[in-house]
Amino acid sequence: MGDEAPRHLDSSNVGQRVRVLGGKEVLLDKEDFLWHPEDWTEEVAAELARESGIEVLSEVQWRVIRFLREYFAYHGRAPLNRDLKAGLNMTLMELESVFPEGIRRGARRVAGLPNPRMCSG
Amino acid sequence: MEKVMLKVNGRVRQFIVEPDRVLLDVLREDLRLTGTKQSCDRKGQCGACTVIVNGKAVRSCLQKVKNLANAEVITIEGLGTPENPHLIQEAFCLSGAIQCGFCTPGMIMATKALLDRNPNPDEGEIKKALEHNLCRCTGYARIIDAVKLAGRFMRGETTPGAVRPDPHGPKIGVSHPRPSAMIKACGLAEFGADILLQDPLEVAVTRSTEHHARVTSIDTSAAEKMAGVLGVMTSKDIKGTNRIKIMVGDQPILAENKVQCLGDAIAIVVARTKKEALEAAATVKVTYEPLPVLRSPQEAMADGAVQIHPDLPNLCFSQPQIKGDASTAFAASAAVVQADFSTQCNHQAPLEPEVTVAYMEGEGEDAQLVVVGRSIEIHLHMSNLQEALGYENVRYEEPYSGGQFGQKSAMNTEAIAAAAALHFKRAVRYIPSLEESLLVSTKRHPFYLKTRLGADKNGKLTAIDIDYIVDNGAYMVIGGYVVMRSLWMLSGSYNIPNVNVLARLVYTNNPAGGAARGAGPPQVTFALESAMDMLAEKIGMDPLEFRRINSLLPGQSVSTGHVYDEWPFPELCDSIRPTYERAKKEAAASKSGALKRGVGIGTHAFGIGGPGDEGRVFVELDPDGGMTIFCAVADPGEGNDSMLTQIGSHVSGIPMEKIRLVTRDTDRTPGMGPAAASRMTYMAGGSLILAIEEMKKAMKETGATSYEDLKKAGKPTRFMGSKKTEKEGPLDPKTGQGPSFESRIHAIQMAEVEVNTETGEVRVIRVTTAVDPGKVLNPNNVVGQLHGGMDQGVGYALREEYVHGKTKDWNTFKFPTMKTAFDMDVIINETPRKRGPLGAVGIGEMTMVCTAPAVINAIYDACGARIYHLPATPEKIKAALASKK
Repeated sequence: MGDEAPRHLDSSNVGQRVRVLGGKEVLLDKEDFLWHPEDWTEEVAAELARESGIEVLSEVQWRVIRFLREYFAYHGRAPLNRDLKAGLNMTLMELESVFPEGIRRGARRVAGLPNPRMCSG
Repeated sequence: MEKVMLKVNGRVRQFIVEPDRVLLDVLREDLRLTGTKQSCDRKGQCGACTVIVNGKAVRSCLQKVKNLANAEVITIEGLGTPENPHLIQEAFCLSGAIQCGFCTPGMIMATKALLDRNPNPDEGEIKKALEHNLCRCTGYARIIDAVKLAGRFMRGETTPGAVRPDPHGPKIGVSHPRPSAMIKACGLAEFGADILLQDPLEVAVTRSTEHHARVTSIDTSAAEKMAGVLGVMTSKDIKGTNRIKIMVGDQPILAENKVQCLGDAIAIVVARTKKEALEAAATVKVTYEPLPVLRSPQEAMADGAVQIHPDLPNLCFSQPQIKGDASTAFAASAAVVQADFSTQCNHQAPLEPEVTVAYMEGEGEDAQLVVVGRSIEIHLHMSNLQEALGYENVRYEEPYSGGQFGQKSAMNTEAIAAAAALHFKRAVRYIPSLEESLLVSTKRHPFYLKTRLGADKNGKLTAIDIDYIVDNGAYMVIGGYVVMRSLWMLSGSYNIPNVNVLARLVYTNNPAGGAARGAGPPQVTFALESAMDMLAEKIGMDPLEFRRINSLLPGQSVSTGHVYDEWPFPELCDSIRPTYERAKKEAAASKSGALKRGVGIGTHAFGIGGPGDEGRVFVELDPDGGMTIFCAVADPGEGNDSMLTQIGSHVSGIPMEKIRLVTRDTDRTPGMGPAAASRMTYMAGGSLILAIEEMKKAMKETGATSYEDLKKAGKPTRFMGSKKTEKEGPLDPKTGQGPSFESRIHAIQMAEVEVNTETGEVRVIRVTTAVDPGKVLNPNNVVGQLHGGMDQGVGYALREEYVHGKTKDWNTFKFPTMKTAFDMDVIINETPRKRGPLGAVGIGEMTMVCTAPAVINAIYDACGARIYHLPATPEKIKAALASKK
């Protein structure tokens, strides 16, 4: 848990939430990861990136995003860092430097990869 | 030390042992005969370690080796192999007597000893012979059937070949033996404690002796100096967040400056032997500054109560559910009943205690931390471990798992073992005692429910009002989801037009609640179904008829406002009616004297396929014409291996023996969500069908008939299917209105009981479950789930209660036994569901949701004692009878 003041939970902040991203309604989880990876579009990615402090995604960032999505489409899960490094021929430091919020919160979220989850709702 | 000669499975061996060494440890540790299991801390309570010594079944944990000179010992490994099984092993597989399989070797050995001396035992003799063997999955009925079938095999009356379904015949609606059954029957399935590691370190944990306190110091210096100790670690040695986070990150792996619950982990000791580790862990000095202990939600919500967690108030989650105008409806109702109900804290009681092994695979910074644990959501738990430990390269694998019933939605030993393996860079085993497992694992949440229910003069339900408070315990785990689940299914089988509900979840210093078979609905359904009987009596209507006329109908909505287009509940009422009338007649004839019989029913419509749920399964065509299914589908006993194999073979046309499963490894499977919420048949089975359809489409487009053809056509041989439920999104936070589960499994359970009005003791004569699970894929698996659930439901109603720090083994838990087993009948209607895979839904949890109210209503019918607070112990029944006078 973070440093925010004590808050109270209800159905709106424990599971799914609906937001407008990239001009359409999209279902997200409580950490603002896409619920369904199929809802991802380049416009959704651009908006999630802006929330991460990236005004315009660079070619390197797009390359990482495309790799993440292709990996997920084939394996049905996010790659481990070793797979990222091998697949992109980048070091971990290089990868982390292009996504200020890190690989999970930055790259994976912008690429529309869902979090593993316990229950729907 | 003493030298003892033993003949084990035909081979004479010498053993030099300490005087207190027991046969179980010699078999498991010295001979690696790990088919003999250990559950009860070597107290002789569970029978999982049963072997045959000189022709008699014995619990090997009670047998000192020094007393067994020249004895002849037969273990499960000495009986048969998968290639050449013993007839008893065949009988257990063919009878559906094997679910998780942890008790199976002991059951089979007890059966062998019985049939060797009595080839044709009756049911009483079978129960007597197996009375020391516990099973949590089956309710014992199919085990008794298996013993009878084994007797028929051994007497030459029939053969396994005559009983076994044709594997090349129809795949659906047929009780093909589970693919994993024979390896379990032969004792060769490796559970966590059976995994062989080279030079593992043993883990022990120093745990809080306080319920709520600041930790002012931790002194590990004495422990570090003890013989055999490799090291001690505390929270300072964990590089990540040190938080287990299923919903919110409120649970440290190792306590930092505060403990919230008796048994919180404080320090990890690793040593060469378990004994050394335990002795060292006991020397870690922890000083505490006690804080007020909040033992109930009511205390935790009181003004001025200390706040347990800094980031969330004690009243951490609340959600109303408002539909229509309950207040006006109650005012206009012809009859209203109201009562306060409560349900107890309970343990899921899987027979296999907690266990995790962990090790580093590879060297240096590229080494992968491999965690082998019993998670039912390996991808989520892997992700949790990555953050908690600050180490990204993690793989989670699942061994065979001895039941879990929701418990392994949570993590505890996994995080401890993983932290130790990572810190010490050594292979570790953490195999806590049963007592420690009971202490640290999650529990079924206690509920307190103020309930009001109304009906009009025609007996139609008008309104419901429930104000309920849920004891979350010290950590959230999945507490918020449990509340949501109870709201999604709150109105059960019925059309209740007006709803006024407030659900609140409250932190206390009690053990953390977690998933437990049904997780929320069993507690609310106890209140609803008790109130239904009270209301039926008040308006003078038969309880079954009252329920039938109040059935939801297609086009009507449940308490969330979700409208259903199929609801085959009235037909189920019709199906059970002849049995119900027979039971009522028999009970009416047994009302005089101290022993009084009664009949009670409970119903439910359990949700399958939650809002926004999705599955993900890959299939890969293999070069030999087989097919491998990749999906993270845990199978701690439900029969998911059957489900995937039979659906896979049926839809693809590939023989079952060529269907391969890869389901227990995060590196090789897609995320699938938890093997919980009775969702695997619906979501994984549904996704599997979609994946195979993609494969068939690709083959049709290219004219391919084989793997080679597809390759030549330049097409992929791997295909993904992802089933999604049609509706999604949260409930409205103000009204609790919104989507619910997209399908339902309908059930009516009827209990027939005999109450001794002098002692308050209840004998359950029979429980009948009438169920509509849609299309049945494997009858043995469906009936097996129903039996096990009925048994757990009766335990929940009458006996079981977990008391923190006091429930320390299976006796104090009041584990169900052959002695408490009762007759069970099943009535199945098969109404194919539009959205279910091949018309099926899921059955694992429904089977105990309405058992407790059925039993409680039967007790009332028998003797007029209404029990409002579970469990219905003899003392409570006597008190209720006394207050009636």
